[in-house]
Amino acid sequence: MEKKPKKMSLADRQKLFFKNFRHTWQLLVLVSIPLILVFILNYAAYPGLRMVFMDYKPAKGYDGSEWVGWETFAKVFKDADFHRALRNSIVFNVLGLLVSFPAPIILALILNELRYPRFKKVTQTVLYLPHFLSWPIIGSVAYTLFRPSTGLVNVVLRNMGLIEQGIPFLTEKYHWAVTYLLIGVWAGMGWGTIIYLAAITSINGELYEAAMIDGAGRWKRMWHITIPGIKGTIVTLLIMNMGRLMGSNFEALKVFDNSQVREFQYQLAIYIYQKGLSGNRFSMSTAVGLFQSLVGLILVLLADWVAKRLGEEGLF
Amino acid sequence: MKKRTVQKFLTLALSAVMALGVMTGCGSEPAGSTPESQGQESTPGSQESSRESESAPQESASQGSESTAPEGGSAAAGMEGWTAFADNVTLKIPVYDRGQAGIPDVKENYWTKWVQENFGDQYNITVQYIPIGRGNVMQDYALLSSSQNLPTILMEYDYDKLATWSEEGYLQTYDIDAFQEVAPTYYDAMVRNNQLVYTEMNNERYFVLAERPYYNTTPNFVTFYRMDWLRQVGYDHIPLNREEYLDAMQKIMDAGICEHPGGGAMFEAKGGEQTYDTRDFPLNEEEWAMYGDFNIPSLSWEANKRLLKRANEDYNLGITNPEYYTIDPATAEANFYAGKTYAYGAYMAPSMPLLDNFYSQNPDAELAVYTFVGEEQKTQADPGTGYYPLYRADNPFGMTIGFSSFASEDEIKAAWMYLEWMIQPENLHTIQWGVEGETYNYDEDGFEVAVSDYEGEYKMGFNGNKDYWCVAIEARNAGDMYDNIRMNSPKGYPQDFTDQIIGIYDLNVKKAELGYPISDALFAVSIPSVDEYRGDLQMKYAEYKDALIMCKPEEFDALYEQYSQEYLNMGYQSILDERKAAYEDGKTTKLPDNQKAN
Repeated sequence: MEKKPKKMSLADRQKLFFKNFRHTWQLLVLVSIPLILVFILNYAAYPGLRMVFMDYKPAKGYDGSEWVGWETFAKVFKDADFHRALRNSIVFNVLGLLVSFPAPIILALILNELRYPRFKKVTQTVLYLPHFLSWPIIGSVAYTLFRPSTGLVNVVLRNMGLIEQGIPFLTEKYHWAVTYLLIGVWAGMGWGTIIYLAAITSINGELYEAAMIDGAGRWKRMWHITIPGIKGTIVTLLIMNMGRLMGSNFEALKVFDNSQVREFQYQLAIYIYQKGLSGNRFSMSTAVGLFQSLVGLILVLLADWVAKRLGEEGLF
Repeated sequence: MKKRTVQKFLTLALSAVMALGVMTGCGSEPAGSTPESQGQESTPGSQESSRESESAPQESASQGSESTAPEGGSAAAGMEGWTAFADNVTLKIPVYDRGQAGIPDVKENYWTKWVQENFGDQYNITVQYIPIGRGNVMQDYALLSSSQNLPTILMEYDYDKLATWSEEGYLQTYDIDAFQEVAPTYYDAMVRNNQLVYTEMNNERYFVLAERPYYNTTPNFVTFYRMDWLRQVGYDHIPLNREEYLDAMQKIMDAGICEHPGGGAMFEAKGGEQTYDTRDFPLNEEEWAMYGDFNIPSLSWEANKRLLKRANEDYNLGITNPEYYTIDPATAEANFYAGKTYAYGAYMAPSMPLLDNFYSQNPDAELAVYTFVGEEQKTQADPGTGYYPLYRADNPFGMTIGFSSFASEDEIKAAWMYLEWMIQPENLHTIQWGVEGETYNYDEDGFEVAVSDYEGEYKMGFNGNKDYWCVAIEARNAGDMYDNIRMNSPKGYPQDFTDQIIGIYDLNVKKAELGYPISDALFAVSIPSVDEYRGDLQMKYAEYKDALIMCKPEEFDALYEQYSQEYLNMGYQSILDERKAAYEDGKTTKLPDNQKAN
């Protein structure tokens, strides 16, 4: 019969606690700093969220501003511009996910197959570069390239006799949508490969050797070893990307703004900035921001649940 | 030392540094940079007085000057009566941060120190300059307000914004008699310029106002035309009317001089639409009060429709660049000196980057701002369109200034002293021009001439320190307007524009006699819907405007009707209704007789 462990007395437990504390207090002090940071940066501002239920006026502060209940949300949800921004955000984020998400995976698989290390390094560096360009620079270069009559691309195409009239890449809404999405892919694709390449390096090399002995070619090895090897990473990143489905990139949208594409360009980030912050409607901005966050959280939890049901590890 | 002890010490030190970093990041910015000011901020007494001024602003401001005459108060009126405050007072003054390269840090430079030494130190006041983004005025003040860190004075050119601040609790009222006692020169300037009527909002006194000399005749913003192009197509003058303009543009395009001489730039969603020269004249006063606003475009008003129809015609004739809506203001300016635009406007100054760039790329080009041809026609209605040469006159005041609701009575008094000190001619002259022999010299006529490429210790801020002295006056004033023009006209360029700019001024004087310069209506009550809908309407107008300019001429009327209705429904109708009610209650400024229709 197994012997029950002897129950420690309170004095012993206290002694043990102080003994442990004496040995580990440096670590506890160190870990307290990020914990405090997380608390301050992520949670300390939460009481400020009550402004969504107020007609918040900065000079009157929280105490002096009037409580209005759900009125701000009602106003936002009735606003036709909010509907337009919400629709655009969802459509563009779904399209972005379809186009942008697989791109780094495919690129990482291709890079992994490169055999000359120096060429591989140079290629990787070139692919990472767009990530370090600011959106205003990308925007001004894009306009210089894609203006209908004076843009370099259109001038070249016209001179080659391929087109008669300039293609309105950035000045007609459907062309703009495609150009905007592809520029997004171009800017983020290289940088996105880093995590996948790291995941690929963690795959046991013996698996590849065994597959080669069994006669598996490159495609077979990629399909049956590399992709299953990074599946967990793909799922994790997919779940995290789901949380961004309600978000939008203000900088990118702002630099590609012009009146002819506003029907598509008008997304939640623009809505929050123009209607909320520029109009001094802080309650409204906060309400929309809160709505975005809640929907993002629900989507992440949902994706995590689905992933687990499909036998993947999930996030939590 | 044992290894373990070193590890412990390092751990502690690292933790302490990180904890300090966290606390520093979370703490609010110290209110004063000097030990005295910090000390004062932290004393309970000063906080208490701040609280008092919030709850009973009018009393605090007026009682202060009466009860504390020995400390910065005024036993005798004006500067002679001032004495230093017993406790250091921090005075926070906003200054526009325009993000302009090549000028000193706006909050700390030789001139801010000069103010501190010559004003602040004399009266135990710490003058602190608070940068305000020029394009984000309302946001910046809102953020400062939410952290209870508003500058002592709030200032803006748009009267609407001041109305919003007074409505939303940013400002406190003040006693004008007490103000007059502390700042008699400033007060007298307001009286001399008939500005007292603008100091009140909703029957309470909130504002003081800076002077704007020659507000309705000044040619401080001038348009430069390509006279060489006009000569090439047979014109010896700038087109006098619409018919001549269209003819000249067509000839310039046909001659292959410029593909789209009208140029153009994107219309940013910030308002600023000028409908003046398409209005019926004389003006209907009620319409003027309801629609005649520079900031919120008047889509649905006949004058606005005419303006956009004219732009639509320009676009469809190819005069306007077909991609104008993608061209930002900097590119539009670059297009002018790259020979892609026939005209471009800028504020007159002895040194103008626009002209520097233009002449460096077009050394032999001829520009004109005014041609002395057809003087009679210039004051008559356009024979083709019937439109009068009306133009926008500015408000009859410069900067409008209010006092923070968070400021204590001593801080308000220090602000009044600052305004009075700044308006003194010797102080104003020094901060406007700098140091003789360094930042400026005198020419043979005795006028100051700025050294435009000065790079030394006395380097001045944007536009000759304008963002500091704008609290007193809106322009350097040499005496009369002719002297002002001679002083401020561009200097050192292949062409001298002084006589032409004087020509514009003389014409403006004639036009002013006929009532052509139009000031917008100002409201003595706040119009809540303006604040509610302004941003949405400005944004929507930018969209509609481009669609209306670029549609086919035959589609214009129907589209204009459609957009007008949408615009009215979006909130413009509420603004019109509230403005009309204010007008009917007699709460607006009135038109002078020479502008008003019977």
